Amino acid sequence: MAFSCRRPLQAASLAIGLGLFGVLSAGPAAADSVLNRGIGATIGTLDPQVNFLATEGFILDDIYEGLIDYDANGQIVPGAAEKWDISDDGLTYTFHLRDGLKWSSGEPLVAQDFVNGIVRTLDPATASDKAYIFVTTVAVAGAGDFNGGTNKDPASVGVTAPDAKTLVIKLAKPAPYALLLMSSFYAPPLHKPSLDKFGKDFIKPENIVSNGAYKMVENVPQSHVTLVRNPNYWDAGSVKIDKIVYKVTEDDNTAVKLWRAGDLDITIDIPSDQIDKLKAEFGDQVHVSPSTETVYESFNLKKPPFDNPKLREALSLAVDRDALINKVVKGGYSVNCGYTIPIADYDAPKVPDCAMAKADRIAKAKQLFADAGFGPDKPLSLAIESTNSDSPKKIAETIAVMWKQTLGIDAKVHAQDRDGWLAAFSAGTWDVFNDDLVGDFAGPESYLSYMDPRAESGYNWPSPEFEAAMDKAVATSDKAARYKLLAEAEKVLLDSYLTAPIAAGPNRHLVRSTVKGWGDNPPDWHSSRLLSIAPQ
Amino acid sequence: MFAYVIRRVVGSVPTLFALTVITFFMMRVAPGGPFSGSRRITKDALANIERAYHLDEPLWLQFARYIWGLLHFDFGPSMTYRDYTVSELIRAGFPTSLEVGLWAMLLASVTGIALGIAGALRRNHPIDYIAGAVAMTGLAIPIFVIGPVLQLTFGHGHGLGWLPLTDWPGDLPHKIMPVVTLALPNIAYVSRLMRGSMIETIRANYVRTARAKGIGEWRTIARHAFKGAILPVVAYLGPATAITITGSIVVEQIFQIPGIGRHFVTAATNRDYPLMLGVTLFYGAIVIFANLLTDIVRGLIDPKVSYE
Repeated sequence: MAFSCRRPLQAASLAIGLGLFGVLSAGPAAADSVLNRGIGATIGTLDPQVNFLATEGFILDDIYEGLIDYDANGQIVPGAAEKWDISDDGLTYTFHLRDGLKWSSGEPLVAQDFVNGIVRTLDPATASDKAYIFVTTVAVAGAGDFNGGTNKDPASVGVTAPDAKTLVIKLAKPAPYALLLMSSFYAPPLHKPSLDKFGKDFIKPENIVSNGAYKMVENVPQSHVTLVRNPNYWDAGSVKIDKIVYKVTEDDNTAVKLWRAGDLDITIDIPSDQIDKLKAEFGDQVHVSPSTETVYESFNLKKPPFDNPKLREALSLAVDRDALINKVVKGGYSVNCGYTIPIADYDAPKVPDCAMAKADRIAKAKQLFADAGFGPDKPLSLAIESTNSDSPKKIAETIAVMWKQTLGIDAKVHAQDRDGWLAAFSAGTWDVFNDDLVGDFAGPESYLSYMDPRAESGYNWPSPEFEAAMDKAVATSDKAARYKLLAEAEKVLLDSYLTAPIAAGPNRHLVRSTVKGWGDNPPDWHSSRLLSIAPQ
Repeated sequence: MFAYVIRRVVGSVPTLFALTVITFFMMRVAPGGPFSGSRRITKDALANIERAYHLDEPLWLQFARYIWGLLHFDFGPSMTYRDYTVSELIRAGFPTSLEVGLWAMLLASVTGIALGIAGALRRNHPIDYIAGAVAMTGLAIPIFVIGPVLQLTFGHGHGLGWLPLTDWPGDLPHKIMPVVTLALPNIAYVSRLMRGSMIETIRANYVRTARAKGIGEWRTIARHAFKGAILPVVAYLGPATAITITGSIVVEQIFQIPGIGRHFVTAATNRDYPLMLGVTLFYGAIVIFANLLTDIVRGLIDPKVSYE
């Protein structure tokens, strides 16, 4: 570093001078409408059959179209399929594709492309995270054997294309919610010629062929992804915004600053401590609504004394959910006294804890705690396993304090990163698990099937009663009757106090008032083709 | 000199190998794995993924496979950013980190040295106090505070609204805030180092001799004292540059700079074994190179050091 002292000094002062006074303000050409969307963390993969993350799902939802779509409220509308028939036994779904569907390259899009998509998702060689969707969530006939490698013939999977416009999906058991999972996120078509030609690189902007409202023209790692209109999309006429730029925004505070500065129109999240301030300043441009995440405390039934239902009930009763969520955690979380999140038309059962007067609740908690054999002379100490993210950690720490104050429990919080937290769950040595589950779709089945003892999720909870109610529900195609049976199953779960339900998580976005067509919905679907930009 | 460089380069191979061994096996001690994040995934689906990334093999075989790849300059695939290999990620991010880092080090060394000299020559004068105050501020305030404060003060849509908040790669104005943020702690350190060293040097006999020759104050400082006083600064700048050009996760996240600094942290929390190993080895190589360069430069400017 032996340099002469003067020149760099001049260069540096010149640099500072230019920077301070030569501020640029060049914008894009006024003719194109551009929507800037924050995407959060760096993109993992844009492989439509592999990606399993919601943020990448936003981009993929714009560039691929599934058999069905969601409207702004998250309800099912026809996508690439204009209509469908479901057999009376609920096992056969027949989709009829629209006329004249095309890939972005102009080639015709046929039913076999959707078959190829599902088969590739299941192919062991694809190593897809979401292969399980067609094995357990919607059990497609033959999918488990093909994914597990016991049957190597792709034709053994119950997805076929009898002709170019018809797609038939055969299920091994009924899944009345199956349509919800036929969207771009789970069942995008596959353009096999480009996969064959480019291998894993078939999703690079220069190679990609897709069928959505937009096509990808640029992907700069850790920076941004640019999409433009796909003129070959069947409904291209209804697409209003010309260009979508997804920007990586790893720091939520910076994303808020960018939104204020006008560099972003939509953020992926809002830091929880800023919601109130932003609401005061920006009113209804601050969107905070319940997500599909349910937050609860799980008790380890394999580990005494947590096998004692009285103790579990006492622990649940000792949590002041209103104070916990509305005064401490905030951030858009809402108190939830059932296991499932609030779902339209589903009359969810609740634990009685929330409806009780505070004094009664605490008295009953103390009584049950004593009945379970604990008290000042026999204290209980336990550890709560939590992730080290901000809100979950706050929840665990506050519950620990509440248990200490109400029941005199020596409760410690053990917080670590998500992988460590999940590994602790699998190890099975935990006492209380500061748990959460994000629904695959906004239906009670997505939650309750996870708690089904046969799903082997690791809760060690034997319950023939719950299984029986679930079996009846899955065989019932009428939605109202099915939801009633599912509510019965949920009641069995809640009565057992295997978990203490706590809260529903939030979706949080800043959406500029000029962006029209935005609707808050729990699964957080927001296709860019539904949005438009109002002139200012 | 050439023989010396060769010796040092060859000597770095065992260091890098040790780094590989330690990083490889230490990462496996952390609970969980790169694909354990999904709770609903079936055993078959998880087994397929682990097979695709050879995670089902015994650890010694995975290690051998990794070393074999290294010998072919192949760092393997990233397990988080599954569209990319580790080499692609480093190739994509390093030029950016390098650019920001070099600007920051340039700013830090020039400003730091200037402040340090000014402080040393005008001891206990207001200039000295101001330089000291600037240095202490830079050292005391962490960059995760400096960055946002700069954004709130100078960023578009905030305060003075002079500078763009992020949007790398941009032209010069985009670089100012991240470069200044990254440079501030180094400015502080360099200026304190330079001040102390200069105070010591201007009392040295050879500087008094230079003065006695009557060549004037400025020439005495620039020609004679500077060369002696800069040595500890050079020794500091080598490793500091290595750290700075490999990126800073804080600055990269706050200013959304697509560098490689973030990989050091995110690869660890994501259990992205190949990426973690790749950036660690890369960083190790850069540090070794920077130290070598520092020693060579010291050999050139310090007559007491010789490598022959």
